[in-house]
Amino acid sequence: MSVALRGVRKAYGRNVALDGLELEVREGEFFCLLGPSGAGKTTTLKTVAGLERPDAGTVEIDGRDMSGVEPYDRGVAMCFESYALYPHRSAYDNLASPLRSPRHRLPAAEARERVGAIAELLGISALLDRPVGALSNGQRQRVALGRVLVRPASAFLLDEPLSHLDAKLRQQMRAELKAIGAARRTTTLYVTHDAVEALALGDRIGVIRDGRIVQTGTREEIWYRPHDTEVARAFGRPRINLLPGTVAPGGVFRTADGQVEVPLPAPVRENTEVLIGVRPRDLALDGRGHELTGTVYVTEVLGRAVEVTVRLGESHVSLVAPRAAAAGLRPDDPVRLTLRPENLLLFEADRPERPGRRIGKSAR
Amino acid sequence: MRVRKRLSGLLADAALILYFVFALFPIAWMVILSLKPTNQLFSTYFSFSPTLDGYRAVLGGSEGVPFVRFFVNSLVVSVGAVALSLAVGLPAAYASARWRFKGSDNLMFTLLSFRFAPELTVIIPLFVLYQKLGLFDTYVGMVWVLQLVTLPLIVWIMRSYFADLTPELEQAALLDGYSRKQAFFKVALPLVRPGIAAVSLLAFIFAWNNFVFPLILTSNEAQTVTVGALSFLGGDRPKYNLTAAAALVSVVPPLLLALTIQRYLVRGLSFGAVKS
Repeated sequence: MSVALRGVRKAYGRNVALDGLELEVREGEFFCLLGPSGAGKTTTLKTVAGLERPDAGTVEIDGRDMSGVEPYDRGVAMCFESYALYPHRSAYDNLASPLRSPRHRLPAAEARERVGAIAELLGISALLDRPVGALSNGQRQRVALGRVLVRPASAFLLDEPLSHLDAKLRQQMRAELKAIGAARRTTTLYVTHDAVEALALGDRIGVIRDGRIVQTGTREEIWYRPHDTEVARAFGRPRINLLPGTVAPGGVFRTADGQVEVPLPAPVRENTEVLIGVRPRDLALDGRGHELTGTVYVTEVLGRAVEVTVRLGESHVSLVAPRAAAAGLRPDDPVRLTLRPENLLLFEADRPERPGRRIGKSAR
Repeated sequence: MRVRKRLSGLLADAALILYFVFALFPIAWMVILSLKPTNQLFSTYFSFSPTLDGYRAVLGGSEGVPFVRFFVNSLVVSVGAVALSLAVGLPAAYASARWRFKGSDNLMFTLLSFRFAPELTVIIPLFVLYQKLGLFDTYVGMVWVLQLVTLPLIVWIMRSYFADLTPELEQAALLDGYSRKQAFFKVALPLVRPGIAAVSLLAFIFAWNNFVFPLILTSNEAQTVTVGALSFLGGDRPKYNLTAAAALVSVVPPLLLALTIQRYLVRGLSFGAVKS
């Protein structure tokens, strides 16, 4: 079922957690909410679940206004970042808890089957008899996730459900979650601070900051048309290169020391302070396009590719090149970089009160 | 170095022994007193012929004092007071820990303030009220008035237990499909069991030891051991040995309780110090 938040405001004392949040998750969609800690991600989930009452605005599930509807009547299932497992019960009892409640009761034999299947899926079958106090954080997190998946729900609300798993397991569970999402088509609102996770899982991604949604879109939209420099910085490792400079006569971007000059991707008034952005993967050591010259600053091998940091006058840019192309590069070697002008992103200069917005066609 | 270490160890031992003497002397004296025959009561030296006659007299009721009944009264009244306080106080503590409602702080303070004033300040009006209402010298009356002692204790201590529990556990229960009432009974309550055990014991001891209320509000039917033990001091010759025996018998229930739930007690009273 679809989930929507309209103009939701929530404050704790003087602390504003949600500041007129607008969000729409379509039916059957896997929606990732990405933001730094303190951005209001958990509050958003709890407001949808009915655990927090918004000061203003409404929550709608399947088009129905949810104000005054108790959490157990909303039909959503939530995985808490703190796991919120019942510490006095075994892993099995935790998993079976929803199936014993008045709302979702199943006959004991059927419940056992369901719990067994979910435990199998999450790789915790051997742990079912243990009290949750005897489980590691990663195991507890999987039990918490299992408690959500064990029963049908109008929507899944997942609060950083993979954060405490080790890298290998996380990858595996990510694939598992994606498969579950695809098979069940249950609307999922997934909260994370990990951009890689958001890109891997989300049908659409919402970037939240200071209690407001900054941008929503598919991974392509977020990647190619980020709303501002913060969104651009959040996605992609190594991070996007952002060079400060001004617009010179003739529609050209130029850094302060004049060492970098590139054509502007969008028309801007002369002498405006701007930031030019180019992702490390869009810079090449060989190839066609606009050329820049600089010297190698440092190189770092990342498996099959190499991250090369190049000095262009006063600025540094990093790029990712295939190992063959970067072989033999030593610090202070002169290099020639190429880039395609259509890959350039242009932003307003960052200001203390807000990061610079992208200049160009709107992506919202 | 080693000499100094051993010396400080000896000093610590000596200090501990001194403290034990200080702490145990009154009890030892009571034990000795309770074992004295009546005709040697006022001998100051320790040589006497120990006898259990005092205990026989107290428990057998041969002195015209129904001490066993007082003992049963104490049990009924204290257990009743604790049970009522738990039934009323646990939900109250939970509510005040979880929700801010209009006047919640004032309410909690009022409850605590019952413990500020000496009981004597309210005892006269209570006496008159109890006479008029027919509660004088009844179990109901005693259980009720002991709420002044047990309820604030239970509500305030249990409130901090509930406040230490993360609300997310009950929130998870709500999302699992349980009602708020079920979340309280199935999730919150079992998790504060050590606290309930500890605070019940404390409340029981306070109720058991209370003196002023039974002194003024009972005469015979509902009289408790604290007042009853003094019955032996009336008459022309005060029988201190019987009072001592009665007092020692009345120590038994709280002591037994404390020993049986000792495990809970340590965990319960060190709440907040150890986070799970």
